[in-house]
Amino acid sequence: MQSQRELCSFPIAPSHKSKLTSAGFLITEDLKHLKPSELSKETGIGLEECLEILKLVCSESVDGSKRNEAPKPAVSALERLKEEQSLPPIITFSEGLDNMLGGGVPLCKITEFCGAPGVGKTQMCMQIAVDVQIPSQFGGLQGEAVYIDTEGSFIVERLVDIAKATVDHCNEMARLEGFKEGEITVESVLSGVHFYRCHDYVELLATVHLLPEFIKKHPKIKVVLVDSVAFHFRHDFDDLSLRTRLLTTMAQSFIKLATEFKIAIVLTNQMTTKFSPGEDSRLVPALGESWGHASTIRVILYWEGQKRWAWLYKSPSKKESRVPYQITMGGVRDIVTFPADNSNDQSDDEPSSKRQKVS
Amino acid sequence: MSSKKIRRIRSLSVDVVERLTKNNLITCKDVLSRSDLELLKLLGFGIFTIHNLRQQCSLACVPVCTTGLELLTKRKQGTGQFFQTSLHGLDHVLHGGIPMGTVTEIAGPSGCGKTQFCTMLSVQATLPGNRGGLEGKVLYMDTESAFSAERLVEIAQHKFPDLYNSEEDLCRMAENVLVDNHQTCASLIKKLESLEEEVITHRIRLVIVDSIASLVRKEFSSSAGSNLVQRTNFLSRQAALLKYIAEVFCIPVIVTNQITTRFGRQATEQDEEETTEISDGYVTVALGNTWSHNVNTRLILQYLDGEKRQVLVAKSPVAPFTAFNYTIQRDGIVQDEEGAGLYAGTDPGVQQINVRTSLPFYNT
Repeated sequence: MQSQRELCSFPIAPSHKSKLTSAGFLITEDLKHLKPSELSKETGIGLEECLEILKLVCSESVDGSKRNEAPKPAVSALERLKEEQSLPPIITFSEGLDNMLGGGVPLCKITEFCGAPGVGKTQMCMQIAVDVQIPSQFGGLQGEAVYIDTEGSFIVERLVDIAKATVDHCNEMARLEGFKEGEITVESVLSGVHFYRCHDYVELLATVHLLPEFIKKHPKIKVVLVDSVAFHFRHDFDDLSLRTRLLTTMAQSFIKLATEFKIAIVLTNQMTTKFSPGEDSRLVPALGESWGHASTIRVILYWEGQKRWAWLYKSPSKKESRVPYQITMGGVRDIVTFPADNSNDQSDDEPSSKRQKVS
Repeated sequence: MSSKKIRRIRSLSVDVVERLTKNNLITCKDVLSRSDLELLKLLGFGIFTIHNLRQQCSLACVPVCTTGLELLTKRKQGTGQFFQTSLHGLDHVLHGGIPMGTVTEIAGPSGCGKTQFCTMLSVQATLPGNRGGLEGKVLYMDTESAFSAERLVEIAQHKFPDLYNSEEDLCRMAENVLVDNHQTCASLIKKLESLEEEVITHRIRLVIVDSIASLVRKEFSSSAGSNLVQRTNFLSRQAALLKYIAEVFCIPVIVTNQITTRFGRQATEQDEEETTEISDGYVTVALGNTWSHNVNTRLILQYLDGEKRQVLVAKSPVAPFTAFNYTIQRDGIVQDEEGAGLYAGTDPGVQQINVRTSLPFYNT
């Protein structure tokens, strides 16, 4: 059947298509065993372009025939289950949040954190960028992270704070369990964060386009964080259909990245105010409804009085639920006692981080 | 970098570039915001050439990748990555002051000291480096016509009597503060678009916009509808421009914001102890949620009883929620020794702000 495929269905420039058609080349079969020079003579298309057309058509048909001979077998759910279990999620250092997400931020999936300004989206990203580097003997992934910052709120001093708390925690665990200390240092954590600062959406698109190559060069990368996906797409866009198209293209490349390299993608999104007639205005994630399909898991972070809550809004495997969390000097943590008096104390931070199970 | 011309990419062949130019695809942005099929139709190349073209354009405008460690060492070498506010407690929690390269917002009720704060920071920025200054000029964009040169000189005189003891020194200091009045949104945005030039020619090390809210609130209504969309777009555009300037020149940008009364249920209702306030309106920072996303650090100024005022760190990537008391004196804003401490913060968008409730005189 593949040899019957019409040439119009290939990505060939329209001018070339019409030349091919008028010379009588209609289906893939017609181009088989043809040399570029012959094709060029028949159709009057330039030599180089003919070579490209032949390459394109033949490689597709070869691939197609291969697919026909041995179609990719369907994977049984059992195998899928084993595969999923062999990929440990990235913990967040907040047990409540981890439980809600089913152990942490999963690999091979896109997780989106939406939230009001100042609720801790950037903190969450930094925490994940550090946590992905926890050595494997503590049950971590021992990976690296790509951090794409579009808003300019990445402050490296803050990353040092979080890294320090995590390293201390790991060293303490090492002492208790009798492992060697010093497997993870603040320096190693910092050099494991690859940082891009994108000033407009074109730079963001270019970065995303080149990520596959970058990850091939740095195979330890286990997570790509984008903080935030919304910023550049919320101004300077008169053409909304262009925006939607660029966003879906980007989402598609993220999905491809996630499955191909078995890495986690973490995006943050802003909130926008939506007015509906006859109702109060309310906050909804920005970038519109169609962007909502892009992420597999969506977590909304919000304030309720003086507590921060994370609400699992969309997930393929877990049920909708919400947990409170707090942000301490050491990063994202569970709320252990009442939040009013321990929210930022270093001394109170210690027990809460000890409580964390890394394995 | 997105406006990088395609003909500057060396690795592309001449006829590819020629055909792109003929089809009005001049910059990398033009190429990257089109899909493969669109390019195919427009240019008439094969699909592999298109893929290569896209790859080259991406390579041309991808930002440089650094690791966290490199960033840290670079920052440590740099001449201070923070701009001291001279409120030592505030500087301490912010890891050394207002972070360079980001946008900081100062919000508060009228008469609370926003302009005073900005004036004092202007003085601070003109100081030499060993006194915590930035050794450069200040661009003060004034939309409320609130800037007072007299006050600037007064603060300088009283705050640093050893540096500014002669008329000459004071004049030199005052020359370093460039004041720019703007009465319409259009003129402000035009200015911001050409700001880069000004920053380079005058060696500006601090940009202040006082206030970002007044013009916007004058020209756009905040009721729902297309007007609001325009307002949001305008603000986002402003924010993007300011952020760009801040980042590229590694300078702090400070904007001030007003307050607004918000009606409706207050977010703290679920707290049990909350019984005292049953008012249906509360005061909070103006310009709404979308704008709040655009500032990196938010400081809120508010009244306490009497002479006392308070500054809150309401949003910061580095600092916890902290409050400091201050008073306005002849030498600017002075931090009190007591009254500093953590507070239980909430959403910076709905953080309640105390306004002056009782006036210091009585109706006799």
